[in-house]
Amino acid sequence: MCSDTPKQEPRSRCTLCPAGCELRIGGPGAGGYQSEPPMVGGAGLCPRGLAIGELLDAPGRIRWATRRLDGRRHEIGLAEAARAIVAAAGDRDLVFFLDGALPCEQLLAADAWCRAWPRAKLCVVLEPAERELLLGTEASGAAYLSDADLAGCDGFLIVGDAFAANPACSRGVFDRRAADARAAIIVIDPGGGSAAKFATCRVAAPPGAELAAIAELARAAGVDCPPIAPPDGMDVRSARSAGLALAGCKRLAIILAAEYGRGGDWRQIGYLAGRLAGSLGGGVACQTTGANALAAVRLGPRLAAINLADALARQDAAWVTVGCDLLGMLGIRGREILAAGAAFANRSTEAAEFVMPAAIAMELGGMYLLGGQRQVCLEAVLPPPAGVLEPADVIGSIARAAGVEAPGPTTAVGALSRLAAAAPSIPAGCAAAAAAAAAAAPPVLMLGRQAADAGCGELTAHASWQLAVGSPPSVRLAAADARRIGVKDLDMVEVRTGELSVRARVRIDHALDAGAVVLPEALREARAMCPLQVSPATEAVVASPGTVNIEAANDYASQTA
Amino acid sequence: MITQARQPEIDKRVVIDVDRCVECQSCAAACFAGHARMPAVSFARAGWALLPLICRQCKAPACVDACPAEAMVRDEAGIVRRRLFRCVGCGSCAQACPFGVISDSLAGTPGTIKSPGELSGHQISKCDLCADRLAADAKAVPRCVAACPSGALRFVDEHQAEADGLLIIGGRSAADHLYKRR
Repeated sequence: MCSDTPKQEPRSRCTLCPAGCELRIGGPGAGGYQSEPPMVGGAGLCPRGLAIGELLDAPGRIRWATRRLDGRRHEIGLAEAARAIVAAAGDRDLVFFLDGALPCEQLLAADAWCRAWPRAKLCVVLEPAERELLLGTEASGAAYLSDADLAGCDGFLIVGDAFAANPACSRGVFDRRAADARAAIIVIDPGGGSAAKFATCRVAAPPGAELAAIAELARAAGVDCPPIAPPDGMDVRSARSAGLALAGCKRLAIILAAEYGRGGDWRQIGYLAGRLAGSLGGGVACQTTGANALAAVRLGPRLAAINLADALARQDAAWVTVGCDLLGMLGIRGREILAAGAAFANRSTEAAEFVMPAAIAMELGGMYLLGGQRQVCLEAVLPPPAGVLEPADVIGSIARAAGVEAPGPTTAVGALSRLAAAAPSIPAGCAAAAAAAAAAAPPVLMLGRQAADAGCGELTAHASWQLAVGSPPSVRLAAADARRIGVKDLDMVEVRTGELSVRARVRIDHALDAGAVVLPEALREARAMCPLQVSPATEAVVASPGTVNIEAANDYASQTA
Repeated sequence: MITQARQPEIDKRVVIDVDRCVECQSCAAACFAGHARMPAVSFARAGWALLPLICRQCKAPACVDACPAEAMVRDEAGIVRRRLFRCVGCGSCAQACPFGVISDSLAGTPGTIKSPGELSGHQISKCDLCADRLAADAKAVPRCVAACPSGALRFVDEHQAEADGLLIIGGRSAADHLYKRR
């Protein structure tokens, strides 16, 4: 339940996931700013939060507007850049892809500029699977659980690697297990992530079969649910026994992490999970990328924004990304972008003719909806560096250059009440991705979330610890697959599909089912390997598991990388 | 002030509840950020789990005895520390440590990777229990413990650990009878 009166939070908080962990900023010293967990009373700070301090003043920070001429970047003034962007757009419409994890005020201000400019369309960008998941949970009417609430639940269903998406949510689960060893922890994660290692019962489901597994489990738990044909490879018996284990729960917590490239059923999964949790007196905890994804979804009807599928279909429009790495996130290659507002170099800035400096979320104060419950007003950790614009001002500066008059003051955010969304239709045979994966020759590529990086890594991948440990990337393989390919732990392999390939170091994962290969979700090259399409039924952007070939990389350079 | 004459013991140690570690590596990242990019947290794979290795601050530290440059000392608070300007990076302490928590590299595990351009190669990372934090606030805990989101790492004395049902594996016996065992 969301409070109508937001509270001012005096402490600095990380906003890279719904946990909103407290942090303190030290410095600047010789090594710049550092973020640290609080001296006392903190509840942890994962590598993402620890990266924030360094990112505030990192050497690679974009501080000036640039224009690409003859393949090289040249510095230009902000006003000149805005005028040149308008001139380069010509008669084309402009689509502004704005990061949806920003404070609500930024979304409303950007919307006001785009309303005042008929040629401009706003698209609020969230991870596609997460947006669908949130729409589903909103429609279900289920309560949202915070990390603190989890210790009060007596059963847990975890979908995806929720402990990597938000490590802080594991504390409540473990606290409950310490108090009651019989508390069931059911995990549905074809990617065999860290949460799967703590499962009291793991439902074996192939990639893309999460919906069928939840439906089977819900029916066994006595919840009214339409029958869904289980795909090949799904262990129906384990789903049923998991359902029976949860049937006696008085307060069930369902923790959901919608990872990229896992198929297209997330709205139905969110809805079904919400129904199941509601039937067993509990709620859901959606572990999204960024703390404000649910707020962006709830603000949606108030914004004159177009959805991502519509925006991507406007190929003739001039694209401007603001605060998000659209091309990196969706693995899009070969698309020119007119302008990109960003804090760090990413795929979108590489493809952009103009680059504008933009503040990151932690440099912006404003309204957040933490954990789906607490509507709080957070202060900026630090103000943005001199000359760096707020994301809404990037749009505003371009609009001004086009002669658009500044809109009036934006309305207050107000209460972010639940969406009145319709229940999604649940198809009888949902597991298209699973069926495709089963029919194709293994292995199937999935992307797994990591505690080190947020989203496609457009921010955190620039931090020094992430740089130190993230190169070369790791690929998780099942022991049987590693034997078949002829590689062992820490060997280098080449993961290839079509023209795309990634060199990675093997990590043999005993929690992973044979036939599944997991690369980090923050690896933009890996995202490009997951086929992207628009679902005709829901107009959702869907990234599916792709099939890949894996070969040992036996050359000297690979072995010594 | 650092002295080797006294052999005080520290009250508290960092212990890990292996049933709570979600392998997020927050401990290593916090150590990396707080110790000039020279993390003293390593990792070891134990079956399915990737567990952090953190210095036990032994009662009879082999690393102190093994250090030829007298860089490893136990300070007045009982913390086994590496003196920055004495360490020559010879790795004797890493060889001597029976628990493998002092290491220049642990086959491909990320915890001990050092940044290019830092003092790597001439220094060995060593946990000092974040002495700067402990000095600033009596209730503070080391960075790795404060950063641990799942509650797997705790900064407790032996009695508290046992009261919490945690077993300090090998800690006392190895420290008391280190050379007998070897």
